[in-house]
Parts: sequence; C-alpha cells; structure tokens
Amino acid sequence: MAEQTSDTELLVLFREPATREKAFTEIVKKYQERLYWHIRRMLVDHEDANDTLQNVFIRVWNALAGFREDAQLYTWLYRIATNECLTFLEQKKKKAVVSLNELESGLSNKIKADKDFDANKLEWKLQLAIQQLPEKQRVVFMLRYYDEMPYEEMSVVLETSAGALKASYHHAAKKIEDFILNH
Amino acid sequence: METRNQILTELQEIAPRLGQEGLSRVPYEVPSGFFTDFPDLLMFRIRLERGGYSENADREILEISPLLSGLRDKTTYQAPAGFFESLHAKIPAAENTEHVVPFFNPASDSKSRRDKKVMSLPMRIIRYAAAACIVGLIGIAIFSITHHRNITDPITGLTGVSDQEMANYLDADDIHWTPGVTSPAETASVAFSDEDIHDLFKGIPDVELEEYIRALPEQKGTVN
Repeated sequence: MAEQTSDTELLVLFREPATREKAFTEIVKKYQERLYWHIRRMLVDHEDANDTLQNVFIRVWNALAGFREDAQLYTWLYRIATNECLTFLEQKKKKAVVSLNELESGLSNKIKADKDFDANKLEWKLQLAIQQLPEKQRVVFMLRYYDEMPYEEMSVVLETSAGALKASYHHAAKKIEDFILNH
Repeated sequence: METRNQILTELQEIAPRLGQEGLSRVPYEVPSGFFTDFPDLLMFRIRLERGGYSENADREILEISPLLSGLRDKTTYQAPAGFFESLHAKIPAAENTEHVVPFFNPASDSKSRRDKKVMSLPMRIIRYAAAACIVGLIGIAIFSITHHRNITDPITGLTGVSDQEMANYLDADDIHWTPGVTSPAETASVAFSDEDIHDLFKGIPDVELEEYIRALPEQKGTVN
C-alpha cells in the first residue's frame, strides 16, 4: 500500500473486509503522531496520552464504517481525540474528587516533574501557561498554535462558531503572553 | 490548512512574544519506537476486544508471541521409559505396606481413585492412640471444671444449719452460746472474775505494772 494513499481510498479499502485491517493500519500510521501530540499537550503525561490515543483509535475502528465523509477524516479524528481527552480529564477529576483548578495545578506539577523541565526555557513556560487556561481556550489555542487548524475546521471539531473560536484564541494568546512575561 | 507563516503573523498582532520562531516546539519526549510499535499494538488490542483470542489459547499465544507458541509443546523433563505403563501395576503392592500420597494419574480420570488414601497398620494404630489421648484430655478437663463447681463457700454452707445444731456443736467444744442472742458484745460467754485477773497478773511484779499504767496517761487506774 502506497504511503500517499488518500483518505478517500483508505476508507474504501476499510469497507472491504479483506483489506479492512490493512487500511486501518495505514490510517493509524498516517495520523497517530498528530493525534498523539494533540492528546499529549492536553494530558501532559505520556502514559495517559498512550491510553487515550488507543481509545481514540478503537472508537474510530468501531465507527469508521459509518463515517459519512461530510467532514474531512482528520477533522473527525481530532473531534474524537478532543472529546476523549476532555472525558479523560473529567473522569480524573471525578475519581480524585478535585476541583478543576486542582486538576490544572496537577498538570502543571506533571510538567515540572518532567526530567527535561527547565523553568528558564520559554517552551516550558509556554506549557505551564497553557495549563492555566480554561479548558475550551486551551483546546482552541493548541489546535491553532500547534496544529495550525483553520477556524472553519476547528468549528467542526469543537462545534463552535468560527467567530467565537477567534475570540477564544485571542484571549488565550493574551493570557499566555502575560503569564510568560510575569513568570 | 493555513501556512505556519499566516498563523505566526496573526499571533504577532495578538501576542508578539508567542510569535517567536521555534517556540511552537513541544518540549516533551516520547519513548523511542513508540510510533513504530503503536499500530501493531493497537491492532492486537482491537482483535482482543473483538473476543477472537481469549477463547482459543493456541491462537492467543501465537498472536502474542510466536516464539512462546512454538515452545509450548516442547517438554523439558523426561519420564523414564515405560514409567506410566508400569505405574498402575505398582500401586496395589504398595497399598498395605506404606503410606501412599494421592497422586494424579493421567491415564485415569477417576476422581475417587485420586482422592483415596491408603494407610499401613502401624499408621492406623498411631492415629487411634492420638485420638484416644485427645478424648482423655478432654474428659480430664471436663471433670476438673465440674468438680470445682461442687466446692461451696463455707459461709454459704452454714446457712442450712439450724441455730440449735450450731449451739450443740459449740457446747461440744466447751464454748457456751445461747441461740437467739445476736449482740456481738454478748457473744463471748467467758466471764472474768477478780480472782481470774489476779491469777493472770500474779507473775508480774507490781513495779512493772505501774510503769505500764504510767505509760498510758489517759487510762490511769489502780492495780489490784
């Protein structure tokens, strides 16, 4: 199977029982890194990201046959991944009986506990700043800043209007810059 | 998808500090080989969740590790030649002479046979003797407990004795007591006369008695 196989071709192959697993493996190979980093930036911890990524692709395996191609495949994948991350954080919050603020400080502590953490480096400060954001702003900022997602596609992923997403991104960027300048 | 430059330009307008080139690099590490192994591990999990392998141990181990699957039927240990054929014949001969621990005989699926214990005669005698000892110890313990319960308190025992019987008993010991008289002051019926007192002190010199009385200033009295 060629590396340049389009999403449409992969979907056709997936619907054939004989080529289903092979097509799915190609989809995983094609999107695993992008989705992993999206999840990792949300959850910080590699093991959490690994588990969540597996759950995302299992959901995809179960639902891909019914995918209607109204949206692009990668937009649909991001939507599942984002929802899975938010569900994970919600479950973690319930299990630990902690407030959202405590959960965010827990994620910040995880960042600080990283063996490579360097408080003087701007990229680490940026990660800490992202964790201070409200959940929605955090997702919007990361999808735009790291994944370079157009607002129109982001509106499909997050089911929010492009205008609201622009405003969200603006607020998020300002807050992050303030954090970096003051820490 | 918009180009990186477009997004950086947008960011320069909102928050110039974030528009720096290279800042978008995520500083987290990923274990080496993670993305290479991930598709295979994921497919394995999907197959497991479909329930394909848990029902069939052969297929399951073949999928997890073909190496272990190949080793599965290789026997490391060897039994002596003809061991299982001759084993059955040895068992009846051993039955009456020694204690045989139950064993699993792959040639037989009879549960009763596997669970049966065969004991020699001396072993049975020892077991009966041990049981008799235990019964004896229990008997002694029960006797001791019940015997101690029959010993009654002496004061409690006197409640059943009539006053007259008690008076007769005391008279026999030359202690005079009249039934019905309960005053503690009168229970002692031994009366001392002046002569008795005189006899009691006759061996003691008067000087010593007077010194004793002086030592008791509040009970001064005369010595007869």
